[in-house]
Amino acid sequence: MKFWAIISYTLRESLAKKTFMGFFVIITIVHLLFIFALNVDIVSGGQAALSLFGKEAPRAIDMEKLMFGFKQVMSALAVLMLTGGIFLAIFATGSLMPNMLEKGSVDLLLSRPMARWQLLLGRYLGAVGLVAINVAYMTAGVWLIISLKIGLWHWPFLASGLIIIVVFAILFAIMTFVGVTVRNSGVAMMAAWFVMFFSPLLFQRDKIYALLSKKIWQWLLDGIYYITPRTFELGNLTRSLVAGEPIIDWMPLVQSLLVGAGFLSAAIVVFEKKDF
Amino acid sequence: MNIVEVRNAVKHFNRGRIRALNDVSLTVPRGSAFGLLGPNGAGKTTLVKMLLGILFPTSGSAKLFGQPISQPTVREKIGYLPENHRYPDFLKGNDVLDYYGRFSAVPKEVREKRAPELLKLVGMEKWGTTKIKKYSKGMMQRLGLAVALMNDPELLFLDEPTDGVDPIGRKEIRDLLQKFKAEGKTIFINSHLLSEVELVCDTVAIMNAGKIVVQGSIDQLTTSGHTYRVQTAEIKNEALADLQNWFSGVESVNGHLQVTVRDYAELNRFIDHLRQQQIELRAVLPHRRTLEESFFAAIQGAPSGDFNELKSFANKS
Repeated sequence: MKFWAIISYTLRESLAKKTFMGFFVIITIVHLLFIFALNVDIVSGGQAALSLFGKEAPRAIDMEKLMFGFKQVMSALAVLMLTGGIFLAIFATGSLMPNMLEKGSVDLLLSRPMARWQLLLGRYLGAVGLVAINVAYMTAGVWLIISLKIGLWHWPFLASGLIIIVVFAILFAIMTFVGVTVRNSGVAMMAAWFVMFFSPLLFQRDKIYALLSKKIWQWLLDGIYYITPRTFELGNLTRSLVAGEPIIDWMPLVQSLLVGAGFLSAAIVVFEKKDF
Repeated sequence: MNIVEVRNAVKHFNRGRIRALNDVSLTVPRGSAFGLLGPNGAGKTTLVKMLLGILFPTSGSAKLFGQPISQPTVREKIGYLPENHRYPDFLKGNDVLDYYGRFSAVPKEVREKRAPELLKLVGMEKWGTTKIKKYSKGMMQRLGLAVALMNDPELLFLDEPTDGVDPIGRKEIRDLLQKFKAEGKTIFINSHLLSEVELVCDTVAIMNAGKIVVQGSIDQLTTSGHTYRVQTAEIKNEALADLQNWFSGVESVNGHLQVTVRDYAELNRFIDHLRQQQIELRAVLPHRRTLEESFFAAIQGAPSGDFNELKSFANKS
């Protein structure tokens, strides 16, 4: 009961602080854009004319190419939603941990008969739940609008929502660790964005090696690559998944999950021992 | 049975540079009203936070209800009103009681029954459906007291319970505490308001610079050894000088004699001497200090090494 109380309290706080509503409104605007701006017609079984945001495609194309193009567009859309969704989610949840740990608030919670790990995990799951609701609304909404307009029900697109939630859960584990350690929402958000920003660079670190003066910097880059979530590769994985391409390597997902679990465990260990 | 037991508790901050608790030991018997007094930065809040698991002792041990404080279950029968508490301002009074009741595993039907009763008890029955951001400081304090009582605690920790409350509200809170005491609850009050502690508590400890300087009942703390107030008929200066020749600890204070003697035998000799001088004796009373006098006596006699350092650390943090 105490655990669920913390989760529901977190959702209630997000609702009250308008972060949930802000997230929800932005997604609704995206949905409306898709409803009114996207114009797609399937013509005579084999040919199609496609217009997006009112601009018509230059020529008619055959169905096979159309399907390929459609999947590519859907996968690009999924990656766009991943990036945008995570960006918004970090904003919406950045202050949740530091707020809970403020003087006068944390005393009231820690003096209750519940273990500290329950409190932290409840808060973590509350934040992930908040994002999951919004991401489900975003993904399902976009998928439904496109499917109804085009008449093609591309089910793999829905997997992108799951990946967005998983990526957020991993990044929020880092934010939780930073939030518990430094108790500052700005620093917690910066940590998540830092991971997002450097992930593409780290993925292509072999191209950076030539620019580095000493071997030690290569080792350092390698080290950072292996202890941070591979969000860029998860974006690629999402794209492949939605495009219907075979997934050759699940390692980015596995490693990122392990890193997320590691950061969450470290946050719990720090929280269990910290004085407030 | 002792409901609170602290043994040689030490708490250092800032890698040992700040010694907030310095070998503190104390016990609080079940059903008593215990007052922890001390100047700002003495370590009172640190001690309470340690007992509630909000911070951890550097060394030493503590038990509540006979169980180590490290077990979260010991807090099931504890109510806590912290100093400068911050309930989420987006909630209404009823919601605060409900959420914090849930955090303490109070069943739904009990929460629904107790919430209006408690709001009535603290004089807030009309405010349950108002968002707490509209509450005054005194109202927040009353709500905090109601929250502390939500799980029907056996032990109440109250950190500056009347902070920000007007004199009428203070009286009401004092009356409530007396009522809880009569019901057999144990009350642990942390305060620097000596008069309030004196009115509610039966046992007191005075802390300074992280140490318990003195601990005992109010009676023990305010009784000042073998000093007595002796009321007589008007006494002439020559007679007083004669008395002072015989007894070194005699002085005239506000129209009566005050004498400090070694023991009861000397007190009796002093009275015999008065009678021999045919000085009319009207009353002999043990001299009692006020709690404030006892407090200052204890504080001034205590080491103050870390006090200023601790105060500056508390201000910084």
